[in-house]
Parts: sequence; structure tokens; C-alpha cells
Amino acid sequence: MHTRLFGISILALTLAAGLSTACTRRSDNPGATGTTGTGVGVRVSQINLGRSLNADKTINDNTDSFKPNDTIYASIGTGGSAATATLKARWTYQDGQVVNESTQTIAPTGDARTEFHISKPDGWPTGKYKLEVLLNGSSAATKDFVVER
Amino acid sequence: MSIFDKKDETPPGSKPDFSNVRSGGSSTAPAAPLPTGTIGSGKTYVVVKGDSLSKIAKREYGDANKWRTIYEANKDLINDPDLIYPGQQLKIPGA
Repeated sequence: MHTRLFGISILALTLAAGLSTACTRRSDNPGATGTTGTGVGVRVSQINLGRSLNADKTINDNTDSFKPNDTIYASIGTGGSAATATLKARWTYQDGQVVNESTQTIAPTGDARTEFHISKPDGWPTGKYKLEVLLNGSSAATKDFVVER
Repeated sequence: MSIFDKKDETPPGSKPDFSNVRSGGSSTAPAAPLPTGTIGSGKTYVVVKGDSLSKIAKREYGDANKWRTIYEANKDLINDPDLIYPGQQLKIPGA
């Protein structure tokens, strides 16, 4: 009898220890909440390029190939919230020559779309271009595109 | 390939001129609030219809040529110094 009770006790203790470990591991997973530090933050989730925008500032016609006389639109998807977040679009040509830099300072309260656009009255030189998006001064995403005839 | 096929291409070794690129942007997110009242030794100015940076510089500093001071302080708001919009709140450094 004593042996059976002892065996049941050991089994119960083992199960309790296992459950405790499982719960601890779940709550230690930083990805479970999607937050870091203070629990708020903004992240860049998507970059799309195209020649025109929808009313919600998404791209109407996604493409990464443009013509010299196109206006080039970039739609940046962000998630999260912050009192202030600075998005910078840095457009470069070929070997890194800066074409343009534009900045928007936003106070997002959830998913948002921010658009940047550039145009050149006398037409874009053909070649390879890159858009780099910086969030609060740090590179967050890049997108390559080309201009061709 | 004829010479006409290459006439608009940038010659090898030279860099194209992007100084006339026009840019802009907007967001579905609210704009971050600007500090109000004085900023350091400066202040804020709300743009009205008909304003230009040189007009504001003339009014605030007595010198239209100081428009670049205002432009440099507001680069996060102004993409093109020739384009400012009514309602924009501009920092006026040292005014």
C-alpha cells in the first residue's frame, strides 16, 4: 500500500513539474506577444511599387518595371503604434547615386499605409534603381526596380 | 543599333542629373503632432494661402534670402521648397 501511494505521488509530482515547465516556456516566448521593450512599436511590413494609387494608398498596379516618363509610387505598409515614427524613402540609381530622399513623420495607431512618389519632368534614365525605406533612421526594407524603354 | 537608339542614354562615366526630381507623399496614419509655441529660440508659423518660404523669411527675418534656414529646419515636412501648403506648421528657427 505504501509503495502504491509513493508511486502515485511521484507520478503527480512529475506531471506538475512538466506542466510548470511548459507554461514557463510559453510565456518566455517573445514572439507570442509581438511586442518588445515598452510593448509599443512600429514595423514596416510591406513595400509595393506601381504607377498609380488607390484611395487607401495601396498600389493600383504593382510593378517593378517603369517607363522613363512614369511617376513612380511606393506604398509602405506599417503595423503597430507610436507617438512619432519617421519614415524616410531613399531612392538611388545604379551604383548608389541618390535620386531623392523624402520623409514623413506619422503617429500610427495601427496598420497604416504611407506613400511616397517621385517624378522627373525630362524622364528617368534607364537602368536599375533601388528604394530603401528607413524607419526612425534605421534601414527597414528595400525594393529594387528598373526603368526601361 | 543606330545612334538614335542611344541618344537618351547617359554617356558612360557621367552621372545623370536628378536635381529636378519632384517628390511627395502622404499617409493614412495621422501626422505626428508638432511641438507648439516656441521651439528653442524659435517659434512655429502656420502657412496661409499665397505664402512662400521667401515671403515667410522676409516677414520673420526681414531677409527673403533666409528662406533656406526655414527649409532646413522643416525638411521633414517640405519635400520641395517651392511647394508649401496652407495649414503646414513650420518651425522658424531663431525668430
